[in-house]
Amino acid sequence: MAHLFGENEWKMLMSDLNAPLHDQFLRLFAEHEPALRTFVRSLVPSLAAASEVMQEVAVVLWQKFAEFDETRDFRRWAFGVARYEALAYLRDKARDRHVFDDELVGRLADEAAAAGHRHDAQREALDACLQKLPEPQRALVLAAYTKGTRMDELAAQRGQTAMSLYKVLHRIRQALLECVRHTIAREEVT
Amino acid sequence: MKDHWHEQIQRYVNGQSSEEEATALHEALAEDAELRALYLDYINLDVALGAAAAVAAAVTEIEAGQAGSRARPFPLLSSHPWRWIAATAACAVLVVLLMPPGHRDSSRRRPDFAVTISSAQRAIARLSYEPGTSIPTWMSPTASLLDQPRFPQ
Repeated sequence: MAHLFGENEWKMLMSDLNAPLHDQFLRLFAEHEPALRTFVRSLVPSLAAASEVMQEVAVVLWQKFAEFDETRDFRRWAFGVARYEALAYLRDKARDRHVFDDELVGRLADEAAAAGHRHDAQREALDACLQKLPEPQRALVLAAYTKGTRMDELAAQRGQTAMSLYKVLHRIRQALLECVRHTIAREEVT
Repeated sequence: MKDHWHEQIQRYVNGQSSEEEATALHEALAEDAELRALYLDYINLDVALGAAAAVAAAVTEIEAGQAGSRARPFPLLSSHPWRWIAATAACAVLVVLLMPPGHRDSSRRRPDFAVTISSAQRAIARLSYEPGTSIPTWMSPTASLLDQPRFPQ
């Protein structure tokens, strides 16, 4: 893929770009990308599926960005596009047992969009909660989420079965979720 | 919220749910707004942990790269520069101590530049003088190249 375009093609492509529009899009997309990814991930059955849908979302958003009215809320607009793309993906995978029915997808989409700011706050609180974890647990959870990690191999390295490793990870994630929820609740009180 | 649903949601997110478990979760999510909020929070945590792991992996990679670039071809010089300074100072002291007393005469501390230059010029002149070779011409493979060319009559 790196050699798809030669130097001249890249120059032509870049000269065609509207640089201020491009910069504005990148700023907005980078700002809202984590919330969009969470939204998409809540509707599709796996991280890989979420990545696939997010690529389509990014392409569509950029293609339509010239028509985007700056006075509108970019986040709301992007969530609408992401919802449409996620539903298109789900229609293709309708036989998968991990796919919700249309009514549930609709509810989750509405509630995920409404929870966007709560999720932003949770992501901000997560860093501090990760620091509160004992080092071996922090290293384990980050290793489990590192791209390319196979859970059976990670379990074997630790002398565990995959099932027992999943249980350890469940406890860590539950502790992290309680930590971020408490952190946000404390901040709201103060 | 019951621990049961914490575990069921995580199993679902990891793709570990059986068909019965997935169906039960779908039905519960359709009825329970609080459970949907928990599900969405787990999804958010999942995505955020993925991002945190990617950042941690990138930092580790950058630190490994910096450690590699810090390795110099002369590690002793870079890691212990004081050793080289001490060795240089010791050599200087030794040179001074081993000098004949006449050379340490305070009257000769200042170098006489004119003498130095003229002696250097004489040395250069000696080097530029080309004495006749002591190797017989028949031993030199290139000696014939210096002969005048001979043309057939």
